[in-house]
Amino acid sequence: MLISLLRVVKFSIQDIYRNIWLSLVTIMILILSLFTINMLLVVKVVGDTAVEAIKEKIDINLFLKTTAEENEILALKAKISNLSEVKDVTYISKTEALENFKNKHTDNPEVLEALKILGANPLSPTLVIKPRNLENFDSLINSLNAFEDQIIESRNFANYKVMLGKINSITEKVYDAGLVLSAIFIAITLLVIYNSARVTMYTHRREITIMRLVGASKKFIQMPYLLSSIIYTFIGVLIIMIVFYLFLRLLQPYLEAFFVGYNVNLINYFFDNSLKIFGTQFLVAAVINVLASYLAVRKYSKV
Amino acid sequence: MIKFYNVSKIYPVDVRALNKVSLHIKPGEFVSIVGQSGTGKTTMVKALIGEERIDEGKVVVGGWDITDIKENEIPILRRQIGVIFQDFKLLPKKTLFENVAFAMQVCNGSPSKIRKIVPQVMKIVGLESKINRYPFEVSGGEQQRATIARALVHRPKILLADEPTGNLDSLNAHEIIELLLRINRFGTTVVLVTHNREIVNGLKKRVITLDNGTIISDQAVGKYIL
Repeated sequence: MLISLLRVVKFSIQDIYRNIWLSLVTIMILILSLFTINMLLVVKVVGDTAVEAIKEKIDINLFLKTTAEENEILALKAKISNLSEVKDVTYISKTEALENFKNKHTDNPEVLEALKILGANPLSPTLVIKPRNLENFDSLINSLNAFEDQIIESRNFANYKVMLGKINSITEKVYDAGLVLSAIFIAITLLVIYNSARVTMYTHRREITIMRLVGASKKFIQMPYLLSSIIYTFIGVLIIMIVFYLFLRLLQPYLEAFFVGYNVNLINYFFDNSLKIFGTQFLVAAVINVLASYLAVRKYSKV
Repeated sequence: MIKFYNVSKIYPVDVRALNKVSLHIKPGEFVSIVGQSGTGKTTMVKALIGEERIDEGKVVVGGWDITDIKENEIPILRRQIGVIFQDFKLLPKKTLFENVAFAMQVCNGSPSKIRKIVPQVMKIVGLESKINRYPFEVSGGEQQRATIARALVHRPKILLADEPTGNLDSLNAHEIIELLLRINRFGTTVVLVTHNREIVNGLKKRVITLDNGTIISDQAVGKYIL
């Protein structure tokens, strides 16, 4: 049994190097397919991060009258906090609002000068409301509109949901396009593996005839070719791990620049999930490739 | 050893390669099956090694009814029957030793067994001094000897030789027939398929003559009658 297994491995390796160009083309196509699939994953991770980043930024500002008393404001804050759609309410007093404004415009002396000329603090106190989840965003807006408190001056309900929807839509479209691209590459891989096995079987037909004549079992005839497809997959996945790591090293600085203040580390993501990502890719690709090879060798290995 | 009971093989469309053939070859016999091209000789060989399924009748090899042999049993049958062909079927990139050893390797033969048996069979066929030569480095007769050696590694009870001298000159052909006779003297049943009149007449052994898929003559000490 062990001897047979070792011979299957030996014949398989012989098969790969005797048809080295065919093997290289097969591996190259496999790498392209895997690269597309991993790119899809990158799109998904980046898309999810972008959506999360926007979700974090979504809040609703309720501007209050400058004459509003502190106790009235706190009472309103308490009422809003009790709404089920609300996650958190932050009260920004006039003084805090002025401080924030000044900090925001430290590089703009004209604005600060204008503020000085005004003399008094022109800013309103504000209640910053964070929604509990975006699905209830509309309901929250309705609830806030329903508040008839005299201290409310204006309601800034910019609809972030539209923006979020757009990002989701773009991500989904890119993802769908990636899926189609992946499907095309997978189909190409299947055809290439199938044809590689057929060409290999054709070039080895004499050897296979002799194997059949002298009493080799069908399994023994087929196994080296099936093993070759597993070896192709293994080499392909190994190369894609290296290539993709290099690719992510190049991409990472751009992502960090784009998502300032957010933790978007694709290298870490791929490292942390490497077994899951590449292990699954290896298993799925190996099963597909073995199947393609089996279909090709079945005809020639008939005893 | 080999029994055919009313065996027929019909190819599309209604071509009877074998037509109700019945014969019995005893263990240790040397039998020549003769006939012109297309008379069903090779179909008989293919039926014996499970390469062709017969359409009617029954085929028994060494007491084993192989008429409806299962696919996974065919390798077992073939290890009991050595086969040699006109075109040698040697692997050009392997030495004669490796070619013979290959037959054992693909059938799970252990390295020690290969090291022991291959030199023995190479000696039987007279190639012990040329084991490291490649097929293109030896004559046609020697290549055929190597295929005989390969057929012998599983110590078969039956040796089927399908036109083994077809590609050889008369001297080499004579040597191959001598070798087959020697193997037969060791107790192996030899079935020689040929249309070489000179060889058949010189053998003075049993001759079965086929014509249009039918046995027209079966003589214990026969001659080529076509």
